[in-house]
Amino acid sequence: MITTRNLSKRVETAVGSLDILTGIDLEIEAGEAVAIVGVSGSGKSTLLGLLAGLDLPSAGDVFLSHYRLNELDEDGRAKVRAELVGFVFQSFQLLSSLTALENVMLPLELKGEKNPQEKATQLLHRVGLEERLTHYPKQLSGGEQQRVAIARAFVTEPAILFADEPTGNLDNVTGERIIELLFGLNQEKGTTLVLVTHDEHLADRCGRLIRLEAGRITSNKKNGSID
Amino acid sequence: MRWTLAMRLLVRNWRSGEQRILVAALVIAVAASTTIGFFTDRLGRGMENQSADFLGADLALVSAHPVNASWLHRARVEGLQALETLEFASMVVGNDDLLLSSVKAVQDGFPLRGKLKTARAPFAADAVTDALPQAGEAWAAPQVLTTLGLEVGDSIDVGEYPFIITRVITFEPGQVRDPLGVAPRLLIRMTDVPATGVVQPGSRLSWQYLFAGSDNNIAAYRRWLEPQLESGHELIGVKEGRRAVGSALERAERYLGLSVLAAIILAGVAVAMAAKRYSERHYDTSAMLRCLGASQKDLLGLYIPQLMVMGIIASAIGCLLGWVAQFGLLYLLADLLPASTVSAHFWPVWAGFSTGMITLAGFALPPIIRLKAVPPLRVLRRDLLPLPLRAWLVYGAALVAIVLVMWRYTDSWPLTLSVLAGGIGLVALLSLIAWLLLLMSQRLNTRVGVAWRFGLNSLWRRARSSISQIIAFGLTLMAMAIVTLVRTDLMTTWQRQLPADVPNHFAINVLPHQVTGFQTFMGEKNIDTSQLYPMIRGRLVTINTLPVREAVTKEARKNNALNRELNLTWTSKLQEDNHIEAGRWWVPEDTGKALVSVESQLANRLGIALGDTLGFSVGGQQFSAEVASIRSVQWDSFQPNFYMVFPPQVIDKFPATYMASFYLSQEQKSLLRTLVGQYPAITVLELDQVIEQVTKIFRQVTLTVEYVLLFTLLAGFTVLFAALQSSQDDRLYEGALLRTLGGSRAQLRAGHLAEFCALGVLAGLLAAMGTECLAWVLYSEVLHLDYHFHWLLWLIMPAVGALLIGVAGFWGTREVVERSPMLLLRNQQG
Repeated sequence: MITTRNLSKRVETAVGSLDILTGIDLEIEAGEAVAIVGVSGSGKSTLLGLLAGLDLPSAGDVFLSHYRLNELDEDGRAKVRAELVGFVFQSFQLLSSLTALENVMLPLELKGEKNPQEKATQLLHRVGLEERLTHYPKQLSGGEQQRVAIARAFVTEPAILFADEPTGNLDNVTGERIIELLFGLNQEKGTTLVLVTHDEHLADRCGRLIRLEAGRITSNKKNGSID
Repeated sequence: MRWTLAMRLLVRNWRSGEQRILVAALVIAVAASTTIGFFTDRLGRGMENQSADFLGADLALVSAHPVNASWLHRARVEGLQALETLEFASMVVGNDDLLLSSVKAVQDGFPLRGKLKTARAPFAADAVTDALPQAGEAWAAPQVLTTLGLEVGDSIDVGEYPFIITRVITFEPGQVRDPLGVAPRLLIRMTDVPATGVVQPGSRLSWQYLFAGSDNNIAAYRRWLEPQLESGHELIGVKEGRRAVGSALERAERYLGLSVLAAIILAGVAVAMAAKRYSERHYDTSAMLRCLGASQKDLLGLYIPQLMVMGIIASAIGCLLGWVAQFGLLYLLADLLPASTVSAHFWPVWAGFSTGMITLAGFALPPIIRLKAVPPLRVLRRDLLPLPLRAWLVYGAALVAIVLVMWRYTDSWPLTLSVLAGGIGLVALLSLIAWLLLLMSQRLNTRVGVAWRFGLNSLWRRARSSISQIIAFGLTLMAMAIVTLVRTDLMTTWQRQLPADVPNHFAINVLPHQVTGFQTFMGEKNIDTSQLYPMIRGRLVTINTLPVREAVTKEARKNNALNRELNLTWTSKLQEDNHIEAGRWWVPEDTGKALVSVESQLANRLGIALGDTLGFSVGGQQFSAEVASIRSVQWDSFQPNFYMVFPPQVIDKFPATYMASFYLSQEQKSLLRTLVGQYPAITVLELDQVIEQVTKIFRQVTLTVEYVLLFTLLAGFTVLFAALQSSQDDRLYEGALLRTLGGSRAQLRAGHLAEFCALGVLAGLLAAMGTECLAWVLYSEVLHLDYHFHWLLWLIMPAVGALLIGVAGFWGTREVVERSPMLLLRNQQG
């Protein structure tokens, strides 16, 4: 489902060029759940951005399904995202001027799907927010906001879900509930899940764990296997 | 689908209050434009109506012969009212005495515009009337009665026919054109003319054809008539007929145009600032939408329709407000407005609406377009910004909008483009000066207290945005200052022109042996009297020895000055309101030399230059004089003024009568009876009515000017608030940070106050510089007022800036210290 070949990202800074990622080769199968872990500045979020086509690599290739992202312009990559990808972010990224229901409807409306309201309502029921449809983000707790974000991510039934520190802004108990919800939906929908996290407990729930250090993959193993 | 989504987003965003400032700014721009459009249109036409009251018609044709009857027929076919009047000079007889009178014969319906005023006795209180003399009746000017010693009810002979005087006529529309050229009036019916037997072949007659009707019909008729006019025909429209108020009205019209322009451009700046902030607040949304798969086109498809709908709604509200507001203004001015109500035209709505849409497109579109360039990676890295728009797009769009709006108000490409070029140069210069001012204020930094240091640092840290804020505030203060300044100077100029004791009477036909007696009489009664000028009736017959009709252009041949006798005078002292434009005024050695000073407009029209030799004919005697100076004359000053002025001892051999102007208060009016009783030959012309009319128009213009000023100020305030809003997000974040680091509320507030006061002082200094430059250009090139340096401005502007921006900024940033820092930081991070 996701393949990278010799992926690198280099940025120019005031003191010279800086390699954020070097020689990343990855193969992620459909339906897999993969955690990318590493310390701050190890390049996790950059890798996530490249895999999702939010940014372009300095060298190497990213394939999403059968699309080679480097070949596409920004609008082309947006089209791929609309077709294949869902996102969950640490900071939820809900549109503050829209209600919970309207936030979830948004990707459906962008895709031009019929009955966006019906599907969005279903998903919000699924994440347990049926009482909160008309609430605005600022009227919801952190956990509730993240559940709206999860509903928004799954509502288009994407093939791949990218999650960036989905529990980073939440307390342990709420985080635990969000993890349950995320994996539950992942299994229901058969989505490929790529998540970036500091949270070892969360990483352990994934089938595979990729560790990054200073922009290189230092381990890439199935959970439960020995190094 | 996109459309529905866009509208849904618009409604949702509206609920959250995000676009309100943008819409408010736009509403003000449109409301200002529409109100002023409606108001000036109606008032302008109202004022033209008043000028028409002056003229007695919307259009008058003066001719020495009866015109082709088909001309009047044509006017009636075109939906105009048309009347003919006849004027002739005749010796009238009353009480066995003779008097040269100017007889006017009129038809029913006269005058077409304005009203006659009559009284029961000379110098008694008068009143408006709709009536006309009946058959066999005559209405006489007070001078006719006083000179001939008649009373109302007595008989007066015109030619072979005895008329009964039934009223005294005190004001007659159409008579003010040349009060000195007219012998005292006698008004009779047209149908009585044949009975007098005065009108014979060869008689000197003046036919006046009066027309009235709608603007369009008058304009169409005028277009049809003009090509057929011959020499000896003179066409007088409302504008030509209002010489006394002409310059005031023209200046006022230019001023109103200027203020509307200032209001719209200011509101445009506010719209641009609000749109920029709106755009910045939508970076995250745009990034998120891009992340969810929206293409750049999708984003434009979402935002541009929102902008358009906002524009349409705001423009509609603006038009509606403008429409309502002009009723308010008309109500407030009801006493001054002409009773004949002028209906509203539709064009101000259309103009206001298009102003709104053009302003929106020019000022708000560029920042909105920038939204499509927001990188989707911003969802992971909030520091990522869209690439800045190309400068030509941002400024180009605004310039196009300004040019379009400006062109509409000035209706002149050269003026628009030169003002624009000047404006661009000014902004560039102002930016440089703003930067230098900022640099200087930074130097002060180490010598001030902590609050000021925080404030000044804050300005310096955001140097780019500070410079644009200084310019925005500076331009706002400048627009306010210039509009106020011009208003004050316009008023002063008008007031100087028409002080309370402006001469309201002219005494003419004072005989040479009466001069001393007249002066003594006026002196004894403490009546403020002008110099007595000799008046000699003469014709201009040659220019450089060529007969005058051959010497001038075909166009100039129609000039009145060639068709009638001119008043010639001599004096050694230049009149106060005259100004030598070329050549020089008399020195003592010029006494007795054949020199002449010519009024500049006449010189222009007839192509007379310095050094030319002019030939005159006075009472059949010819003489010539060399043009020694060209002189501008302020015709609306109500002082005695002359086209031709000679040095002493050149024309004093010709028989002359003398004239003077003087002021009489209402209580002193009875002195006129004594004066006329002592010197029956003296004719006194009362100008009260004319002056009252002129004053009334000035008052109207003054009020209009003040209302227009109000809109400019309002637009200025929107800029102020939009600018404060634009840096609000940064300030909130910084304030929260400082508070978490232990800064107290009082420290923060003092810092903000210092920052805004400094901003205000800098903007005020900039505004003072800009105002001086712009005022100089405007005064000399557009408004034709005297320019003088406004030193007070340099003290007031920085103070006003500090006060206004300090208070507004302090109030606008109170949220910074009131909101929880925790909440702010979390929001900023998230």
